[in-house]
Amino acid sequence: MAKRLKAAERRASILAVAKVLFADKGYHGVAVDEIASRLGVSPAVLYHHFPSKEALYGEVLDTLAAQRESYVDAALQSPDDFGSVLLRMTLVFASSVARDPDYLKMEMLSTLEGAQVARQFFESHWKSFSDYIEYSMRELSQQNAVSQINPRTAGLMFQGMVREALYAKCILHSSRYQSTHLPDLITQLVGLFLNAIQYKE
Amino acid sequence: MNTHQAELDTRGLNCPLPILRAKKSLSQLTTGEILQIRATDPGSVKDFEAFCKQTGNELLSSSEVGGEFIFLLKKQ
Repeated sequence: MAKRLKAAERRASILAVAKVLFADKGYHGVAVDEIASRLGVSPAVLYHHFPSKEALYGEVLDTLAAQRESYVDAALQSPDDFGSVLLRMTLVFASSVARDPDYLKMEMLSTLEGAQVARQFFESHWKSFSDYIEYSMRELSQQNAVSQINPRTAGLMFQGMVREALYAKCILHSSRYQSTHLPDLITQLVGLFLNAIQYKE
Repeated sequence: MNTHQAELDTRGLNCPLPILRAKKSLSQLTTGEILQIRATDPGSVKDFEAFCKQTGNELLSSSEVGGEFIFLLKKQ
């Protein structure tokens, strides 16, 4: 039992170190030898737990997926109009990224590297927002509660806006936005978005 | 085997849409009626467990066949 626990601990430590390195240098920028060296073990130990660097990268993504934020609370709390749910979802997402900015770094690097698995993973995360915005705006436009903007374009605008705010606050630590707390910045941006689509509650 | 009175197809959609649509569908059912939900988001398994815990509706079953998830929810 103790041996199994030790193996699980070793596996977790490999994943933690690999995540930091992948976030700093991207998939192609990290060699298995470097991960092993950082852990103070031989590459054979790594290969004992993960058959390849690709498998290890996939596991890092799976671990991130398992820790994925839940929007159930955001969806069920009151008030439950489109704008309120969207704000709560975005605040949940932003606080989750702020807790672990490696997520955002890996996303940034995977976009440049064109790693298909990673791209699908990160696109799936943003899909929660694009799906929700598209579907809701179609319904709301029938009630004249939003302007006649292409919902897909609106979703893209939203994603760009939020992602840029997260880069500024969580990766670049931009001095320009230093005095604004992340939740306040997100609240202001969601307000701007709702104004832009002329959302009427 | 449980028979259901209503069906909801949320395949291809990510959270929170399946949850919001389930909430809407359940509001149109009466107590004791069953809603069948189909989904493809792997996160929907945890999401519907949390949904039922919070709303008091009963998760009768949760199954997966070939990457598709089927949930049976009984309205309370």
